[in-house]
Amino acid sequence: MKYIKPTIVIIIFILIFIFLNKLLSPKYMTDLVEGNMTYEYYGEEKNHEVIFIGDCEVYANFSPMVLYEQEGIISYVRGNSQQLIWQSYYMLKETLKYETPKVVVFNVNSMRYSEPVSEAYNRLAIDKMKWSKEKVDIIKASMTEEESFLSYLIPLLRYHSRFDKLTSEDFKYLLKTKNNTYNGFLINKNVKPLENLPTKRRLANYNFSENCYEYLNKITELCKQNNIKLVLIKAPSVYPYWYDEYEEQIQKYAKENNLDYYNFKEKVQEIGIDYSADTYDGGLHLNLEGATKLSKYFSKILKEKYRLTDYREDEEISKIYNEKLERYKEAIK
Amino acid sequence: MLINILLLILSIGIYVSFGISNLIYILFSTVTTYAAARIISNKRSIEGCTNCNINYADKENKNAEIIEEVKGENYKNNQNKKNGKWILIITIAVNACILIAIKILLYGQAKLNWLSGIQIIAPLGISYYTLQVISYIVDVYKGKIEAEKNFFKYFLYVVYFPYLFIGPITRYENMKEELFKKEKIKLENIYNGVIRILWGLTKKFVIAGRVGILIGTISSDVSIYKGAYALLAMLLYSVQLYADFSGGIDIVIGGSKMLGINLKENFDSPYLSQSIKEFWRRWHIALSSWLRDYIYIPLGGNRCSKIRNKINVIITFVISGFWHGMNYLLWGLLHGLLVVYGKILKTKWKPINIIITFLLISILWSFFIWTDTLTSLQMIGSIFTNFNYVEMLSNFLNLGLNIANIVVLIISVIVLIIFDIKKEKIITKIKNYKIEGKLAIIGTLAIIVLVFGIYGIGFNVSEFIYSKF
Repeated sequence: MKYIKPTIVIIIFILIFIFLNKLLSPKYMTDLVEGNMTYEYYGEEKNHEVIFIGDCEVYANFSPMVLYEQEGIISYVRGNSQQLIWQSYYMLKETLKYETPKVVVFNVNSMRYSEPVSEAYNRLAIDKMKWSKEKVDIIKASMTEEESFLSYLIPLLRYHSRFDKLTSEDFKYLLKTKNNTYNGFLINKNVKPLENLPTKRRLANYNFSENCYEYLNKITELCKQNNIKLVLIKAPSVYPYWYDEYEEQIQKYAKENNLDYYNFKEKVQEIGIDYSADTYDGGLHLNLEGATKLSKYFSKILKEKYRLTDYREDEEISKIYNEKLERYKEAIK
Repeated sequence: MLINILLLILSIGIYVSFGISNLIYILFSTVTTYAAARIISNKRSIEGCTNCNINYADKENKNAEIIEEVKGENYKNNQNKKNGKWILIITIAVNACILIAIKILLYGQAKLNWLSGIQIIAPLGISYYTLQVISYIVDVYKGKIEAEKNFFKYFLYVVYFPYLFIGPITRYENMKEELFKKEKIKLENIYNGVIRILWGLTKKFVIAGRVGILIGTISSDVSIYKGAYALLAMLLYSVQLYADFSGGIDIVIGGSKMLGINLKENFDSPYLSQSIKEFWRRWHIALSSWLRDYIYIPLGGNRCSKIRNKINVIITFVISGFWHGMNYLLWGLLHGLLVVYGKILKTKWKPINIIITFLLISILWSFFIWTDTLTSLQMIGSIFTNFNYVEMLSNFLNLGLNIANIVVLIISVIVLIIFDIKKEKIITKIKNYKIEGKLAIIGTLAIIVLVFGIYGIGFNVSEFIYSKF
């Protein structure tokens, strides 16, 4: 009997602690919606035939809804802002626990970053990932020097200073958040034309780091083990500059490992991208128009080359996807 | 026994983790004072059997001079004492010289660009353990305590990690009992220790951390932030230093309490003092009492002419300033003068005395805010020459804290003041709480620290202001 009161007190404080962790963590609903992308995947049906992994060059440039509408491909983009290659590897590893796609499309832009870059980007990609071995590994691989593992385990340690920045959004989405993407694709309708072409700055070293190659090998190996076709791509972003030396290394890697590689930068004309209208930030990312063009173009390649199923003919799945498509069309109006 | 072994291993481990040289320095001080104390003690015990009745157990006998007289009765013993005296002097000199040299070198490097290219780093905890080992050897010499035979017991006293960064400076006669008593771990002690630690963390992270942001802004540019800003920084620094230092000591005392080791209090609501003299009885008590016992009294204390007594006080405070660093000699001197001549500022109204004392102390903290003596003096002067008080008030919200954080700061400072005024009552009340009451306090304080504390990326949690001394 004498332990009842202390136990109640302990339980009350544990609940307060959990509540505060939830309340003070950013909800990423209206501002920085990219922060909720990782989480959105968990609410999806896990039956995708194509999974995109990579940085913003995938979630801004490839629309799974277009892929479905055009060729009946069901796909998902597991991309995040500046998602580094080791993050892509662990995201893929996590994805494979839920489903085994036929094709994994990896955007190679992140090969240029050999070390963790920014705490803020880490948070956007990792914070809302479900706890698993992959999450532990992704944190360990991604942390910058100033970060601590504990602050990922207890978000309050990182976000406690938000106590004076709480808004109604923090209460509204305390328990359940809403989706801001369409199978991982983030719509952006703005137009900011490309004005200047990037100048080619000389680098001291053009070679991708051993660390990046190690993770690229891991991705390749993981796909092989699971009988998944790995496809390497380079999105047609003008910025940051994609050096010829980079291109040569990727081509060489793809050849050596018998992988398909598509550099869409070289197919801009063919795709029909017009940088004066199809980008929302002067050439870094495509806007909705550009992404639609690129997705249409790539959907044909995917369908023809990798013998994907046309799910428009699948009664059950088409019902779900037609509803999604309707919502998507509503959103892009 | 087991807990003492673990504490020793842990303490050594912590020293080593900050660099093996730290362990070498502390080992040197420990070995030299241990050996010297043993030699003095051995000589005493040989002579003591036949000639001298120094009663070690007579711990109440604080007057070392009486012991000296007893010893003085015998020639042989005088000879013995003489031998012991040289050992004492050499041991103190060697240990003090290391500390003095480091203080001078640190100043020389920072201000005069000495030894450019080599970074001088003070050995961890040297300011604290040097005073401890000196107090030990002096107490053994004076017969207040018996020399410790077990080296490891003595080593644990010196190296004990909780007072590694900020003290308090302890005496072996107190610590021996606490460190080596049986039946230390009790649930009651753990609850009380945790509460004390969390209270310390609250002071450090919620109050000192917040005030630190404001002071950081003000001290970053003396050309803009002077006059009213300087006064504000001085008043705030009083709060910051007290919250940070006493908070750190709370953590040390609380941590020790959990292990069943009771350390002496280092603060006694110091800002409620009515004079500077009283302030030094209530602020950093461990250092003040060390200076009293090992500097002021050996200099002659008050058993001399009035003039000599005043000089003794001033010398003691200048040494206190030196202990803090070469930059603080003037700060020590001014405190000494205020202790000696402070009476003239005293009124018959208690609140007025408290305010005057607080203002004086705050103004003198300038030497700690701006560290450069000339800048500090300029800032003190600017209070009386730059009347930008209205501008400061209108610009208050641009100093680094928004309104929500200022509200948190004001509330927490009010809580601290109330606690300091009603300390005895509150502590007794908490001690009498049942387990659930104590758990509720632990939970509340933990949440306050976690939510309202200033910590995280860009904020170094291990940094206590007082640790740099």
